Amino acid sequence: MPNIKLQSCDNEVFTIDYEVAKCSTTIKTMVDDLGLEEGDDEVVPLPNVNSSILRKVIQWATYHKDDPAVPEEEENKEKRTDDISSWDSDFLKVDQGTLFELILAANYLDIKGLLDVTCKTVANMIKGKTPEEIRKTFNIKNDFTPEEEEQIRRENEWCEDK
Amino acid sequence: MYCHKLLADECGGLQPALPTGPILTVLPAPVRAHRTHRYHPFTQQPPLYQPHRGLPKERSPSPIQLGTHISRLYPELLAIIFSYLEVPDKGRAAQVCQAWRDASYHKSVWRGVEAKLHLQRRTPTSLTNSLNRRGIRRIQILSVVKSFKEITRGVSNLTSLNLSGCYNVRDDNLYQAFATAVPTLVELNLSMCKQITDKCLLKIIPNVVNLETLELGGCSNLTDASVQVIASSLRRLKYLNLRSCWGVSDHGVRLLSGQSDTNMGLPMLEKLGLQDCQHLSDDALKYVSAGLPQVRSINLCFCVNISDMSLRYLARMSSLRDMNLGACDNISDAGIAFLAEAGSPITSLDLSFCEKITDQSLDYMAQGLFNLKRLSLKGCPVSDDGLTKIAKGLAELEVLNVGQCKLITDQSLRTAVESLKNLRSVDLYGCPKITNAAVKEIKEMVSPECVINLFLS
Repeated sequence: MPNIKLQSCDNEVFTIDYEVAKCSTTIKTMVDDLGLEEGDDEVVPLPNVNSSILRKVIQWATYHKDDPAVPEEEENKEKRTDDISSWDSDFLKVDQGTLFELILAANYLDIKGLLDVTCKTVANMIKGKTPEEIRKTFNIKNDFTPEEEEQIRRENEWCEDK
Repeated sequence: MYCHKLLADECGGLQPALPTGPILTVLPAPVRAHRTHRYHPFTQQPPLYQPHRGLPKERSPSPIQLGTHISRLYPELLAIIFSYLEVPDKGRAAQVCQAWRDASYHKSVWRGVEAKLHLQRRTPTSLTNSLNRRGIRRIQILSVVKSFKEITRGVSNLTSLNLSGCYNVRDDNLYQAFATAVPTLVELNLSMCKQITDKCLLKIIPNVVNLETLELGGCSNLTDASVQVIASSLRRLKYLNLRSCWGVSDHGVRLLSGQSDTNMGLPMLEKLGLQDCQHLSDDALKYVSAGLPQVRSINLCFCVNISDMSLRYLARMSSLRDMNLGACDNISDAGIAFLAEAGSPITSLDLSFCEKITDQSLDYMAQGLFNLKRLSLKGCPVSDDGLTKIAKGLAELEVLNVGQCKLITDQSLRTAVESLKNLRSVDLYGCPKITNAAVKEIKEMVSPECVINLFLS
């Protein structure tokens, strides 16, 4: 089955190589479940992804279609965030909104590689900042009561030991 | 003003594109009322993860949605992001807002984390509650004033405790901490807890019988009595380090090896550290060879009383891969001959500062130690003849240290780099006869990943 049709939530249809599409476990499962075969004109609906994000996802998947499977993580292995490839790093030079939508799409479509690299990118935006600086970065409102804030501060105080 | 702030928050990362001024405040009251409780909407959602369900319909499209805000990410996704943070950043992320706090309690965020703690002023119960809520099972204690029994008793499923360098830890601290069994503990590091004695180990070891790793480096009061209780209690032990336990003798190693009538030894042991156990003689290695044939790695650095005979025993160990004989002054070419003749399968051999290792040893290696991948000859009196021999004979070699080999010249270095196609690292610190021109030349010959080190490492 060389090609497959994907329909975004705003009704745009993308015809792409199935080899690219199957890096999404969600799509692969749907194709298997629907029993789609070569020549079928069936369209796979993706009601949670809009066309601009789907276009980005397809771009990412096309570049990464020959990547080896991501190995299972070891329990005690330190997780790295400095190993983002330069292509991915350029690909993810987008506004925060797009980045979060890519995370949601990668999660919904079950594309582990894209989910990992987008989450690492957000992690890198958090690193080394105080809670207040993090709030500013992401425009988050501090919704703690003073008592709650003090409690959570104490609870995490040990994290600063070195 | 309040609404303005709130709405601006919801608009997320595109804030610069937002018109400033009163535009946002003209939204009809029902929309505002509707939004106030939805700042982090997933906190009200059931914890079940349902990506296929998508988002609630009411959330999209939203009339003022200029960009997706981070609050749209499910707690599970925040937890993935937090899992990539280092411990101080995890702790700060938890203090950002309620939703982030709640996401930070996901145990996946803290999986594998070793909490590093100064146990001084802190209330022990609130600390252990915090650790347990995060599912943390590995603890390093950086400093302790009095007691750490709250940790061994209070942390559920404690798997690893590291007290390395806590000089003030005494026997009674350890008695208290291990007064009852801690069957979950698999790693215990007491290195440099210099005050502890045999009495302590006799009491605590029977309460940590599932240990797989035990570090006692620098606990110089310990003697064969400690080794005896280890040998008779720790059936699962894979790694034991007795570095600088000067009281340990050949008899202790005999007990470890199960070569006495009283106990079975350590059937699972893979890695044994005996660095600087200066009382050990060749008999110790006779016992190791006979009773611990499964050992893969042995460190005998600074064991100045062992001689070539020890290598005759070690040559029989078919599982042995990694041998460190650094500064063993009594090891000579004859010892290497034993290893090579027996066709020892070792892949890593460290002979740093063995002053009796000459070109003859390298000739033996080239004729018998064909599996060698890592070899250190740092400070050995070897010359071009020897290096040329191993260049031709040891095709698998990846890591070569000839630092402070004062006789080595450009000529054999070139031959070595030409012949050894798998080299990943070459150490050349302090080789006065190696010229800069030759270094430049070999840098072009080796693969781009190969590290050429010219400095003290």
